[in-house]
Amino acid sequence: MSYAYLFKYIIIGDTGVGKSCLLLQFTDKRFQPVHDLTIGVEFGARMITIDSKQIKLQIWDTAGQEAFRSITRSYYRGAAGALLVYDITRRETFNHLTTWLDDARQHSNSNMVIMLIGNKSDLESRREVKKEEGEAFAREHGLVFMETSAKTAANVEEAFINTAKEIYEKIQEGVFDINNEANGIKIGPQHSPTNPSLPGAGGSGGSQGSACC
Amino acid sequence: MEYFKSGLKSVLGAPPPGTQITGAETVEKLVSRVSTSTLLEDRRDACRALKAMSKQYRLEVGAQGMDILRQVLELDRNDCEITGYCLDALCNITSKEVFEDENQSNMNMAVNVGEQFSEMFLKNQENVSLVLSFLDEYDFRVRWPAVKLLTSLTTCKLKEIQDIILVSPMGVSKLMDLLSDNREVIRNDALLLLINLTKSNANIQKIVAFENAFDKLLNIITEEGYTDGGIVVEDCLLLMLNLLKNNTSNINFFKEGSYIQKLAPMFILPDNLEEVGWSPQKISNFHCVLQLVRTLVSPNNPAQIITSCQKTLRDAGLLESLCNILMASGVPADILTETINTVAEVIRGNLTNQEFFANVLAPSNPPRPALVVLIMSMVNEKQPFALRCAVLYCFECFLYKNEIGQDLVVQTLLPSSTGNTTVTAGQLLCSGLFSNDSLSNWFSAVALSHCLIENPAQKEQLLRVLLATNLGAQPVTLLNQCGVFLQHTSKLQAKLGILMLLSMWMAHCPAAVKIFLNVPGAMAFLTAQTSASEFDNNEELLQGLCAFIMGLCVLFNDNTVQNYSKENLSQLIEKRVCIETYCKKLNEISRHEVYAKAAKQPQIKAKHSSELLLEFEFCKLFKVMEGLIIQALGVQRDLSNGISELSLSEHENALLLQYKELIRDQDKKLQDLQRKFNHLQKECNDLQTQVEELQQTNTQLVDQNTLLKVQLSTANTSHVTNIIHEVKSMSPESAEPYPVFIHGNNDLLLDRIKKLEADNERLEKVESELAEKTSELESYQRDQDDLLELLTAQDTKLNKFKERLRQLGALSRSDESSSDLSDNDNDRDSGPSLL
Ligand SMILES: Nc1nc2c(ncn2[C@@H]2O[C@H](COP(=O)(O)OP(=O)(O)O)[C@@H](O)[C@H]2O)c(=O)[nH]1
Ligand SMILES: [Mg+2]
Repeated sequence: MSYAYLFKYIIIGDTGVGKSCLLLQFTDKRFQPVHDLTIGVEFGARMITIDSKQIKLQIWDTAGQEAFRSITRSYYRGAAGALLVYDITRRETFNHLTTWLDDARQHSNSNMVIMLIGNKSDLESRREVKKEEGEAFAREHGLVFMETSAKTAANVEEAFINTAKEIYEKIQEGVFDINNEANGIKIGPQHSPTNPSLPGAGGSGGSQGSACC
Repeated sequence: MEYFKSGLKSVLGAPPPGTQITGAETVEKLVSRVSTSTLLEDRRDACRALKAMSKQYRLEVGAQGMDILRQVLELDRNDCEITGYCLDALCNITSKEVFEDENQSNMNMAVNVGEQFSEMFLKNQENVSLVLSFLDEYDFRVRWPAVKLLTSLTTCKLKEIQDIILVSPMGVSKLMDLLSDNREVIRNDALLLLINLTKSNANIQKIVAFENAFDKLLNIITEEGYTDGGIVVEDCLLLMLNLLKNNTSNINFFKEGSYIQKLAPMFILPDNLEEVGWSPQKISNFHCVLQLVRTLVSPNNPAQIITSCQKTLRDAGLLESLCNILMASGVPADILTETINTVAEVIRGNLTNQEFFANVLAPSNPPRPALVVLIMSMVNEKQPFALRCAVLYCFECFLYKNEIGQDLVVQTLLPSSTGNTTVTAGQLLCSGLFSNDSLSNWFSAVALSHCLIENPAQKEQLLRVLLATNLGAQPVTLLNQCGVFLQHTSKLQAKLGILMLLSMWMAHCPAAVKIFLNVPGAMAFLTAQTSASEFDNNEELLQGLCAFIMGLCVLFNDNTVQNYSKENLSQLIEKRVCIETYCKKLNEISRHEVYAKAAKQPQIKAKHSSELLLEFEFCKLFKVMEGLIIQALGVQRDLSNGISELSLSEHENALLLQYKELIRDQDKKLQDLQRKFNHLQKECNDLQTQVEELQQTNTQLVDQNTLLKVQLSTANTSHVTNIIHEVKSMSPESAEPYPVFIHGNNDLLLDRIKKLEADNERLEKVESELAEKTSELESYQRDQDDLLELLTAQDTKLNKFKERLRQLGALSRSDESSSDLSDNDNDRDSGPSLL
């Protein structure tokens, strides 16, 4: 399948907040209630459409354990988008957001789009973090915010797609250097950078037109 | 060497005439020059000299200079030249290689010096970060030796450096950037480094893949001309292999990223290949690329991954290309073999791919199905062994979960296909089955058995197959002929093949059992084998298999053959063979190493034809059926000798129950003790290795200590006298720094010695701990012995009671024999349920 762009995402956040479930819900449209610790990083992919363009999302699910934090760091640089997830039924996962965010900001490229996600919205009765608190945190740190449920699929599509929209807009604005693959964005095989429908990508890299495959 | 000496002279100044300076002294002077010189120029010259000496005088440079070289890397990092010298010197010091002109006279050869220095260097994680930071420097004199140093460290201490790099910020990313370096040497050496680093470390593999490794590697491969390229192509492929092997996440990424499609050009053979031929490098490259495909569809991967990769491989035209290679001429035999294995796994269990394969035609005249041509090679003695194995594997994979394929092959054997003059797969297998080549017998039998797996319809169909025997005699059924051949052939391999075919056939197929029971002499043969008390090499397998077939005859018996009903056969096993012997024979199979090897993976892995005895699918069948057979025989026995605890008086019964309880308890205790014992043994072993490790470190430290002492003594003799001399000639206040310097050096040594002493103490502590554990272990062992004794005593008592019971005329023979059996049977965990 051909695509106009490919975006790389990572999903980060504490253990047990539902990262693997969110990925599975988005790529396979199913929910797996059994909790298995992600060792390292798992991978999933899906095609979406934005502005009638095919966009391929490649998503890496990271491990949330503190012990693996240093490994997670290696993924920031090459990602165009990150879903930062907490669990609305466990306050401590919300409290840890600052650490995650600092880590992400420090190691990622400055244009990486970060989406804040309060997951498990289906568990209203056990809620420990108010939606307003999530919104406030997002506002304060300039993030997009959404509450989701990997179980009911509520807002899961939206979370992934809205992140993609944001990235797409940044490309349109010429903020992202799309010729640098290290930013987590690739141009589709048949869309050369000289394609008139695409902005000429503010030429920060001198090597123009890197002979496309 | 002369140049080198004169170089040294210019660095150190000519020695006073008549004195012979040793390497150690020179190194020492150079080290002090580096540490004291205020001029960069001087330090640089000294470092250059150290680098030059770091092969021949590796021990000296390493022991005395490692710290200073490291310091220079930090302090003079802005000077590319001196940095390069230091990195090069460190690279030599830590190299695993023993250098040609290395001074080995006073070296303890038991230890690898490079490994030791690597360990010393890695002790401080900062050192690796330091070297990694030099990868940011574009200057060739720095970047290249930095890559080489890291590579050298990975060859000695892989696990350690993997762990450090994984937690170094951007560690892997920096290495990945090297693949884009336009200087080929650096790029190629970075490849080697990455190949080492990605070995069995899933986390590094994933990060490397995340950092666009597949794009970069495929770009290099393309630029280098695919499989026609040089060793770089091979290295790229090896790295890709490392990234994918057993790494589901990366395989998924590889597939989703459409990289499979990008492999396609590598499988297209050029038209003029026959003229150009296959260079050794091309063969190597091709091998790697085939391995790559196999990694994607390996039967060890999750089923979902296999299926989707198989589909992608077909859609991308790779399956077709692979089949073309199968049928191309001039392909080297080992490539052909590996291609067959690859095709096998690409089609295994995938109906569409299997159908595609069935329709591939060989360019023969007349055109024949590729499948038929392959089977011809399998039953041809002149073909290489590995190739014949590969064909069998491919055929098995073609039939795996493929009812249509199974039917297709069996159909070619049935009488209805009249007047067909072309050779068919079925015919080839049938003649292979009874040929003079025992390997062909084995291959054909296994191949045919795969037509029957989980397919009752084909089992029935195959019963209809008739064979014409000599001289216009009555045609006989295939199964009948198998039974006859089994008794006539003298070759073990052939017999085992036929027995595996028969067992696959007769399992769940009473009609087949019926025909087999009617084969003259068949049952007598099985009984004789099963009850035989001796065996030669591997004959225990034959006897076990015969026992197995007997069991299947009991299990799937519809009681229509006179004298061979379920009941009759169980009696036969019990009376003639004896149930214990029978179980023992059956047991031999799963305990045999050949079984363990065959049951491991579907692919037939054997170096020599004599190793081919059992086969994967048979092992699977055996595992399922073994228990059922034992169960069936047990049930039968109870029915025939139906005496139970009911016939005992209430009191006797209570007594019996009491004893049962007792034995059960003791059994449990015994097991607990056994567990404890194992645990302690393990602990003991662990402690032992710990002690060994500590002893090793100790000797290492002692070595270091000696070295340091040597250093100290030289310092004391030459240096110190000089210094003292100088000190004396100087005014008191300017003399101040020298004693401090010596003092500092001494302090360092004292520190080291103290550390050594502490280590020794620790060692002693562990040793005493070990002694304690050992005595604890012994006491447990004694306890266990006591308990065992107690158990025997109880046993005797129990027997006495039984005897008494028997005198009372109540206890049956069967109960007795069953308790005997379980007594001998401790290794099968029949445990508490033994009565
Ligand atoms: N009720 C509910 N449970 C969820 C949801 N998402 C995940 N879970 C559960 O939370 C646990 C942890 O999920 P997992 O995806 O493994 O978390 P990870 O460690 O962040 O990958 C699992 O038991 C999931 O079944 C959700 O949206 N609603
Ligand atoms: Mg997870």
